[in-house]
Amino acid sequence: MSPLLQVKNVTKKYGGLTANNAISFDVAENEILSVIGPNGAGKSTLFKMIASFTPTTSGEVIYQGERISNLKPHIVARKGVVRTFQETTIFKSMTVRESVVVAQHLRAKASLAGYFWGSKTAKDDVTAFEKYADELLEFLGMSEISNEQASNLPQGSLRALGIAIGLATDPKVLLLDEPFAGMNHDETMNMVKLVRSVRDERGVTVMLVEHDMPAVMNISDRIVVLNFGEKIAEGTPSEIQSNEKVIEAYLGSVDDEIGM
Amino acid sequence: MEQILANGIYLGSQYAMIALGLTLIFALMNVLNFAHGQMYVIGGFVTYTFYGQWGVPFVLALVMSCVTLAILGALIEKFLFAPVIKGSAREESTMLLAAGIAFFLDAVILLVFGEKQRGVPKIVDGVFNWDFRIIMPYDRILICVLAILSIVAFIGLMQYTKTGRALRALAQDRTAAQLMGVNVDRYSMIGFALGAMLAGLVGGLLVTITGVNLGMGGPTSIKAFMMVMIGGAGVISGAIWGGIILGFMEAIGLALLYQYGDITYLLIFVSLMIFLAIRPQGLMGKPWG
Amino acid sequence: MLGFTSKQLVGVGIFLFVIFIGVPLIINATGRWDFYFTLTSVALLAIASAGVWLTFYIGRINIGQGAFALIGAYVSAILVVKAGWSFWISLPVAGLFAAVVAILIGLPILRLRGVYFAMITLVLTQVVTLTALALPITNGAKGISNIPLPSGISLLGIPILPDFAGMENTKLAFYFTACIIMVLTYAALYRLVNSRLGHLCRSMQQNEELASSIGVNIAYIRIVIFAISSFFGGLGGAMFGSIAQSVYPSSFQVADSVNFMLNCFLGGLGYVFGPMLGTLVLYFGWDLLFEFGKYQMLIYSTILIIIIRFLPNGLLSIRFDKGGDK
Repeated sequence: MSPLLQVKNVTKKYGGLTANNAISFDVAENEILSVIGPNGAGKSTLFKMIASFTPTTSGEVIYQGERISNLKPHIVARKGVVRTFQETTIFKSMTVRESVVVAQHLRAKASLAGYFWGSKTAKDDVTAFEKYADELLEFLGMSEISNEQASNLPQGSLRALGIAIGLATDPKVLLLDEPFAGMNHDETMNMVKLVRSVRDERGVTVMLVEHDMPAVMNISDRIVVLNFGEKIAEGTPSEIQSNEKVIEAYLGSVDDEIGM
Repeated sequence: MEQILANGIYLGSQYAMIALGLTLIFALMNVLNFAHGQMYVIGGFVTYTFYGQWGVPFVLALVMSCVTLAILGALIEKFLFAPVIKGSAREESTMLLAAGIAFFLDAVILLVFGEKQRGVPKIVDGVFNWDFRIIMPYDRILICVLAILSIVAFIGLMQYTKTGRALRALAQDRTAAQLMGVNVDRYSMIGFALGAMLAGLVGGLLVTITGVNLGMGGPTSIKAFMMVMIGGAGVISGAIWGGIILGFMEAIGLALLYQYGDITYLLIFVSLMIFLAIRPQGLMGKPWG
Repeated sequence: MLGFTSKQLVGVGIFLFVIFIGVPLIINATGRWDFYFTLTSVALLAIASAGVWLTFYIGRINIGQGAFALIGAYVSAILVVKAGWSFWISLPVAGLFAAVVAILIGLPILRLRGVYFAMITLVLTQVVTLTALALPITNGAKGISNIPLPSGISLLGIPILPDFAGMENTKLAFYFTACIIMVLTYAALYRLVNSRLGHLCRSMQQNEELASSIGVNIAYIRIVIFAISSFFGGLGGAMFGSIAQSVYPSSFQVADSVNFMLNCFLGGLGYVFGPMLGTLVLYFGWDLLFEFGKYQMLIYSTILIIIIRFLPNGLLSIRFDKGGDK
């Protein structure tokens, strides 16, 4: 079976600085793959290139046999590769439900003109969006806060909202940028469960960038390790844990910092 | 050729000062000061009143322009911008306020100074003539030198004094500056006063060459916006480059396209648009978004 | 009907009654015929302001509407005077022409954000004024004057639109025309904002990156919105030229562009009908202060500053204590 998504020799240079150097790996359908590495290892840049938020300097990203790197981000999103954001990037003055409804616009059947005149199809669309939004929020355990304005939410809910917005677009591949950052143990475990159920029940392939080692070891089917912009290892969590290069380059240096 | 170069330096030094004030205010408070041109005009009228009307020495009159505008700027910041920035749901409200202030200052200028064009006696007589390659009246040369000195002094202030360091910290990151112990409210006021003062100073300098009238405010603001866009908003070196570039473009355009009148400005506008399409952050600005 | 609630329909009904029946009755009773001109101007400026408001809806501060109003006014004037077109046909053409110009200019400048976009649009107003001065077809500083009043249009012998020149009371006719166009403009604006496109605009206004991550083609929507906005500007400008029967490069200047923006901000950016209210208050206020002679500007700007100082989120924010977005 050919992989769902392939990263092929992807390189990114900013001036003289190499953020990513010839990174290659495959992502199989329905797996949870984590990209880890110390700060400044180039994880976020790699994610941005996969979602086409920034062009590659060389190399390409192939999704379902099609090149998706260096396209416009909205086109990549329409193809089914959707990212969430590390920062609390949200629609501040929309409610949770509104945000999720807006994010479904790609499924709209009616034309923009249809919406303008209020056609039957457009009304059906809106009803369907709202119904699905409620379903999705229930699935994510967010029903209670569905009418809260996004700017009033606590940080943990914001991250869940980000995932809800991403899921509402009906993605095949969801790229999560540090979904566990700033969370305590319980919150992290809830999020781990949530991400699993996204994969198990919705059939979404998940890629995530993360610092939180226990969570990553817990959740991932496979892990790719970056250091100084280079891929230094790839494998299952147990393989990674016993990989000397990784221990040397990553675990040893950051242990104290992240309090493991 | 030499003449164009000389005119470019002359215009550029004046423009750079105008742009510096605007960019300083923008960097500190994220306020686009529509009233900058009006502040420039007031500076011109103050010098006109002291030097032209009452015979006070020119340098003292200039100082009065600076003082007047510094006080005006400080008051405007303290009683208008600061509270509006705090109370508004959107940053853009400050733009509305700035426009209101521009109208207000125009009204004040109209009532106090009238709408006539005003000029002052020459500060020095005579014309510098280098073999007809460069012809420039001495007063222009003097004003140009004064402008350059002022810019140098301003940069020195920003680089080497405590105030300057505080202002730079504030411009870079408001929250961080606050954490470092910078009194944000106080330095916002000082910065605004300083920006307004620069506008007043150029007004005072230029009144000796071009005179001053009520209608100069708006177009001056627009030119200042253009310079800031060329150089990159909120960047000091950018404002200086923007001023010099606009000054030279005008000098060249006016020399080559003299008979076509306003076409020079049209061409400058169009090239600015093309430039911004390629480099939205301006020459020196940091890339964003 | 069209997604309105009954309460909204009553409100709309009252509004329509007031502008089409109430105002003429009051003016008849008081004999203040000059108010027709004022209110007609308000209606037309409100159309252009609606466009500015719409650009704000995608998070762009537009201080260039004067440019598009001027373009619209010239296109209509040139078509009527030099090509002999009917005004009624030149009106939509003027709007469309402004929209096409907006697309061409928007392609490069809509990438700019925040104050950069604000500044470049302000500069744009100046550019159009200078272009009008420089081009031969616009007659330079002399402008185009003696534009005939709109002539009638009839289809198969049935008059659809009346001939303004043959009318006794052109003021009233212009007032009604302007009001009808304004009502249509705001109805369209309301539908647009509450349709899918409106939601996408709001998502862009709040976060362009996130919007594009959910598949919104932000570049395309920006252009569409800017074109619609400028269409409104062109429409308002063309109508204005027809009423004044003349167009000069100074008909719409930088100050007008700033005023269009002020109308929107003052009314409140979170409310579709904000720009209409803002235009009414600002223009009417300005007109009423005329009696104060040379103090007009001083009083006007002082009031303006006080309003901004104490109601920084717009006039309509008094009713909604939350402020900001609706």
